[in-house]
Amino acid sequence: MQVELQCRSRPSTEAISHDRQDQVEQFFKSGHTNNWAVLVCTSRFWFNYRHVANTLSVYRSVKRLGIPDSHIVLMLADDMACNSRNPKPATVFSHKNMELNVYGDDVEVDYRSYEVTVENFLRVLTGRIPPSTPRSKRLLSDDKSNILMYMTGHGGNGFLKFQDSEEITNVELADAFEQMWQKRRYNELLFIIDTCQGASMYERFYSPNIMALASSQVGEDSLSHQPDLGIGVHLMDRYTFYVLEFLEEIHPASQTNMNDLFQVCPKSLCVSTPGHRTDLFQRDPQNVLITDFFGSVRKVEITTETISLDPNLVILESRTPKDEITTEALKYAEQLPVAQIIHQKPKQKDWHPPGGFILGLWALIIMVFFKTYGIKHMKHIF
Amino acid sequence: MAAPLVLGVLVAVTVRAVLYRSSLAAFISDRVEVSSPLSAWKRVVEGLSLLDLGVSPYSGDIFHETPLIIYLFHFLIEYAELVFMITDVLTAVALYLAIQDFNKVVFKKQKLLIELDKYAPDVAELIRTPIEMHYIPLKVALFYLLNPYTVMSCVAKSTCAINNTIIAFFILATMKGSAFLSAVFLALATYQSLYPLTLFAPALIYLLQRQFIPVKLKSKGFWIYTTQYAALYLCSLVVIICLSFFLLSSWDFIPSVYGFILSVPDLTPNIGLFWYFFAEMFEHFSLFFMCVFQINVFFYTIPLAVKLKEHPIFFMFVQIAIISIFKSYPTVGDIALYMAFLPVWGHLYRFLRNIFILSCMLIVCSLLFPVLWHLWIYAGSANSNFYYAITLTFNVGQILLISDYFYAFLRREYYLTHGLYLTRKDGTEAMLVLK
Repeated sequence: MQVELQCRSRPSTEAISHDRQDQVEQFFKSGHTNNWAVLVCTSRFWFNYRHVANTLSVYRSVKRLGIPDSHIVLMLADDMACNSRNPKPATVFSHKNMELNVYGDDVEVDYRSYEVTVENFLRVLTGRIPPSTPRSKRLLSDDKSNILMYMTGHGGNGFLKFQDSEEITNVELADAFEQMWQKRRYNELLFIIDTCQGASMYERFYSPNIMALASSQVGEDSLSHQPDLGIGVHLMDRYTFYVLEFLEEIHPASQTNMNDLFQVCPKSLCVSTPGHRTDLFQRDPQNVLITDFFGSVRKVEITTETISLDPNLVILESRTPKDEITTEALKYAEQLPVAQIIHQKPKQKDWHPPGGFILGLWALIIMVFFKTYGIKHMKHIF
Repeated sequence: MAAPLVLGVLVAVTVRAVLYRSSLAAFISDRVEVSSPLSAWKRVVEGLSLLDLGVSPYSGDIFHETPLIIYLFHFLIEYAELVFMITDVLTAVALYLAIQDFNKVVFKKQKLLIELDKYAPDVAELIRTPIEMHYIPLKVALFYLLNPYTVMSCVAKSTCAINNTIIAFFILATMKGSAFLSAVFLALATYQSLYPLTLFAPALIYLLQRQFIPVKLKSKGFWIYTTQYAALYLCSLVVIICLSFFLLSSWDFIPSVYGFILSVPDLTPNIGLFWYFFAEMFEHFSLFFMCVFQINVFFYTIPLAVKLKEHPIFFMFVQIAIISIFKSYPTVGDIALYMAFLPVWGHLYRFLRNIFILSCMLIVCSLLFPVLWHLWIYAGSANSNFYYAITLTFNVGQILLISDYFYAFLRREYYLTHGLYLTRKDGTEAMLVLK
């Protein structure tokens, strides 16, 4: 919800301190008013269990910190919880020995299975969605939304692979973000990517107010964390595992800032070197709270004082024409001249072979007949 | 012999009438094996109704029949079923009479060769007797009438039946020795579908033999007769084509009929070999391959004429079979025509080598055609390769059948003149090999 207000300071007898007025102004001028999250897992097949677990763990943290499902677009390319190869059905674990089930009871997946395509992803970002798309599949952000974008899967230098059949390049992604900026679809955007050579994906961003984190530099592979011998696959990727551990410490009132997030998963733990990019971001990362992106923190202040809000009223004059231009009665143009058609009888003209043809044909047949059987039969006919 | 023939005709007509009234008629007329773009009944009806609306039927890609068919069906369209039953009966009767004459010719020739002592002494079991040959014409007529292929073709009202009738009349006219009628019917057959042009050679050889003119390139009599026959044939062809011009006052029918047969633009699957190749061919090769495929039909005429110049009717049979296999839009009706001739060479049975596997191939493929069509088009679990595989196998079966009969025929001829028990120079038993 967006509320545009201008508090005008006016001398009044109401007991409003100038301080309080300023505070109110501050209240409405801070950056963002709502939070969105777009969480994308791009790989399918059972052995890519860890990518789904990555996405679900970020989903879980983001939901726990307050972003509701209506503001989360969750895209999972394959169903691991109900996969026929899952020995523990209806669960997706992030820690071995079944310590943490990130699937839970209330997961709402918006784009599932084959719906996770590059086209759908870009349409979600840019808002160019067919009118029949339900609300849960739309990113209905505005220019006061802070958006968290998390992507994971298999990637390379400059691309991210979707569904094992197509790719999105870093150029496309940067252009999509630019479209979002031009359409005023975000206030600030935090982009996290956990793939091999993930830093290549944020190299091309050129729109303002974007902060990006990646799990590995160009030329490095992001590695997975631990396999679970009971399930048989690797459960999480290292970077997201440590991000998850970090986020588990955050609660809605934490004052932890982005610099702490940049320190998550140093090379000793992650084997790859995580990277980040803040040059497009206007605020200092020191001042950016984790909950600005990962949670939906509403500023609530209780006050017993009254504050007057004067909206700017602009009286519009109704435009009424002085004289009514009399026009003739408008009527709908005849699209189909029905009257003409129904009164027209169809002309049934039968085709007949031309007389010359029939004559010629039968003359030939008679000639052949007489040539074969001799002229002597003629006298029997005539 | 008339009574059994009449009985056979009645049975065949009943079978067809029953099928016409059943629900199978609609199913059969839609099958691609039975109706091709050249012979489908729906297209005839469409063309005639286009005429009624004042549009030339050749203006689109729908109608590929000749103007004489237009004329024929313009008046007979309500009695279409009767027309097709009558054409089948006429074909059977024509074949019956033709084979009766042929038997007489064979017997006379055999007698002549025995008296001239041309046969080896120990071939008594290979000599044909009138008793054995007595029922062959009836068998031929019944083979044609009761062949499931013919019945399906008739129920589908495919105009292939009319082509078969004209060819049967041509064969009858040739057997009777009338060069004029034979030329006229051959011209009609060529006018209907281009390929019977190749039947000119066997008919010519047969007529020459009947006139006791030796088939030698140097003989003057040979050339005179050939020119006469060719002139008759070409004149009738030209007259028929010019007459067709006057039906619709346009030459549209030539590209629509003959252009269509030769250039094969319609690649609907059928039991032939053309559609699959041309569906996947690159554009700039298609002309070359078109020429190659079409030459394949005409190509065997001269070699066969050289080899089989003593046996023109067998040559005609092989030629009809080659036309049915290699033509651009074959249907089962074409196959039925040459299969009707098989009883004439029933005496070759002991020399046929592959008859069991061939008959299995042909029967299984005929049964698999609708199955794989259904799987390909309706169920979606097969693709065109499956159907083409069956087409290929079917055609390979037919080619093997023809070559088997060819080999058996030549072998019998060899045995007749050289004796049944062949020995090599050192006395051991020899094997006959076709080189």
